[in-house]
Amino acid sequence: MQEAEKSEEKSRLVKAYTAIVLARTLDKKIVVAQRQGRVGFYTPTMGQEALQIGASMALTEKDLIYGYYRDVPMMLHRGVPMEVIINQIMGNSEDSALGRQMPSHFSDKKRNFMSVQSPVATNLPVATGAAFTQKYRKTNSVVLATFGDGSTSTPDFHAAMNMAAVFNLPVIFLCENNGWAISLPVEKQTIAEIWTKAAAYGMRGLRVNGNDVIETHEVTLEAVKRAREGKGPTLIDAVSFRMGPHSTSDDPSKYRSETVEEGSDRDPVVVTEKTLKSRGYIDDKLIESIKSRAQKIVDDKFEECAKIPPPEPKSAFEDVYGKSTWMLDEEVKDIL
Amino acid sequence: MTEMNMVQALNSALDLSMAADDSIILLGEDIGVDGGVFRVTEGLQKKYGPERVNDTPLVELGIVGMAIGMALTGLKPIAEIQFQDFIYTAMDQIINQAAKIRYRSAGQYTVPMVLRTPYGGGIKGGLYHSQSGETYFAHTAGLTVVSPSNPADAKGLLISSIGYGDPVIFLEPKRIYRTIKGEVKDGSYAIPLRKAAVVREGDDITAITYGSMVPTVRDAFEKNNVNGDIIDLRTLMPFDIETIVKSVEKTGRVLVVHEAPRTLGLGAEISAAIAERAMESLLGPILRVTGPDSPFPYRHEEYYLPNEKRIMKAVNKLSEYR
Repeated sequence: MQEAEKSEEKSRLVKAYTAIVLARTLDKKIVVAQRQGRVGFYTPTMGQEALQIGASMALTEKDLIYGYYRDVPMMLHRGVPMEVIINQIMGNSEDSALGRQMPSHFSDKKRNFMSVQSPVATNLPVATGAAFTQKYRKTNSVVLATFGDGSTSTPDFHAAMNMAAVFNLPVIFLCENNGWAISLPVEKQTIAEIWTKAAAYGMRGLRVNGNDVIETHEVTLEAVKRAREGKGPTLIDAVSFRMGPHSTSDDPSKYRSETVEEGSDRDPVVVTEKTLKSRGYIDDKLIESIKSRAQKIVDDKFEECAKIPPPEPKSAFEDVYGKSTWMLDEEVKDIL
Repeated sequence: MTEMNMVQALNSALDLSMAADDSIILLGEDIGVDGGVFRVTEGLQKKYGPERVNDTPLVELGIVGMAIGMALTGLKPIAEIQFQDFIYTAMDQIINQAAKIRYRSAGQYTVPMVLRTPYGGGIKGGLYHSQSGETYFAHTAGLTVVSPSNPADAKGLLISSIGYGDPVIFLEPKRIYRTIKGEVKDGSYAIPLRKAAVVREGDDITAITYGSMVPTVRDAFEKNNVNGDIIDLRTLMPFDIETIVKSVEKTGRVLVVHEAPRTLGLGAEISAAIAERAMESLLGPILRVTGPDSPFPYRHEEYYLPNEKRIMKAVNKLSEYR
C-alpha cells in the first residue's frame, strides 16, 4: 500500500471508529435517561455499530437512505448532527418532526435520511420506488434500504426485492441481521440463510461479518459500484448481534440466555479497536481521548437539548394535508 | 369538444398531462402493452415508452410502495390498481406510509401520488370485482378521496389530482366507464378538488350522492318529476359541507345514496354532519339508500345496487314531512 493510500485509509477508519464510539456513548446515555424517566422510549443499537458505519462509508452525500428505527450509528457517521437525534428522542420543538413520532423514528431530509416508520419492511418497496427515480433521472445516486432479520418474513420484503430486480434498480438491501426480532431468534424466523433469498429474485446476495467494519464497507462499496453501473440491486446479509433489548420496554432475559457483553470479543467496538491497532492506526492513548471526547459531546448535547421546550400543542394537528380540512379545523378548535 | 365515454376522458387526461410533464410516471398491472384491463391507459406506452408506462409484477403493495418512493423523490406517479377489491394488501403502504409521511416529517416529505382504481358493481363481477371500499380510505387522515360521475368530470378531476401534493385515491365507477357519453373539452382543464357540484336543482329535497349513483338518482328524479337538488360530491374526503348545508337549508329534506354498505358508510358521516349544522332546517329524518351490509353478490347484483324503486320509496317517504 502506498503512503498516501495508507494515510487515506487511516483517516477513513479512524473516522469510522470515532463514529462507532460516539454512537455507543450516545446509545448508553439514552438508555440511562430512559431509566431515569427523562426519555419515553428507545430502541438501542448496541452491537450494530460496525455494520451500519461500514455501509455508510460506501455512500456519498447524494445517495439516499431509507432506514428503520435502529440506525443511529449510520446517521452519526453520515453527518447527521447529534442534536437532530436527541431532539427527536425528546420530541421537543426543535425536533424535525415536532414531537409527533415516538423516539427512534428519525428524519433528516438535508442528509437524505428518509423519515422512519414503525411497521417493519414497509420502507423497502418505498426505497425501491426512490431507486426508480434515480434510474429514470440518471442521477447516478443509489438507495440504501435497511431492515432487521424479522423483516425478511414480510410480503413487503418479497415485493421490494422482486421489483428491484425486475426493474434492475440501483438499490442495496442491507439486512441488519442482529439475530433477534424482539423474542424470536433468526433460526425460527426463517430456515434459509438470509443472503440466499436473493437467488429467488435473480439478485446478487452476500453474507458479511457485520462486526467487521472493513469487510462490511468493502462489500457495500462493491454493491454500490455495481448499482451505479446499472448492474442492479444487491442483498447484503450483515450478521451481528443485538447486544441490548429490542427496546427499553423489553426484557431479553425472558427469552434468551446467550449474551454479548460490552467489552467482550464480539463487541464491535472491541473488534474495531483491535483491527485499527493491528494496522497501527490507533493506540490506547488515542482510544482514551476519542472516548472521553465522545462522552463530553454526548453529555453536553444531551443537556443542551433537554432545555428545549416542547412544541406548541396545535402543531400536533398540522401537516396532515397540504391544506387542512374543515373537519380537522373544527375538531382542533374544540380541543384547544 | 368531443363526445367521449369515461374511459376515453381519463385516457385524454393522462395523455395531456404526460405530454406536458415528464415527471408523470404510470405503473400497474397490464397497463402497458395491454392498455389496462379496462383500456384506460390504451396507447400510452407506445407513445411515452416503457420507462414512463410501466407494466409491473402482480403485487399491489409493491406497486403502491414504489409509487410512494417515486413521489418522495420528485416524480408524480399514477398507479393503477386493477380492481379496488385487490387493494387491501397495499393498505399498510397506503395508511402507514402514504397518508402519514407529510405529518410524520412535519412537511419535509410529501407524497404527490394518484392511485387510480375501478370500483363498484354493475358489471357482473361478484364479490371480488364489485366492491365500494371508499370508507376505508375516507377514514384515514391524510388521504384525499375522489370519484367522478361523468366523462367531463373524470378528466378535470384527474388532472387536478395529478401532482396535487397529497396522495389521492381516485375511484373510478366502472359501471359507467362506457355506458355514459358526454361532451368533453379537448385541451387540459382542472376541476377543483374538495368542491361538490349541484347537477340538478330543485326545492323539495336534497339528494347527496357520487360516482355511478349520480346518473341513477338523476334518472329517477327526471322520470318522476322530483323537484330536488342533486349534489354530486366529486371529492368524498374531505367532502364539501358548505354546498350540502346550503341546499339542506333550502329543502329541509335529505336523501343520501351510495352503493357502499350502509353501516358506517359515507352516508353516516354526511348525516351526522348535517344534523350538527342544520338540525333546525330539517323537516324529517335523513334517509339513506345504499348497498346492504352483505358481500356483493354475483347473480342478484340488481338487488344490491340502489335503484329507481328504492330511491323513489325514500323520496315519497320524505315528502310526507312538511
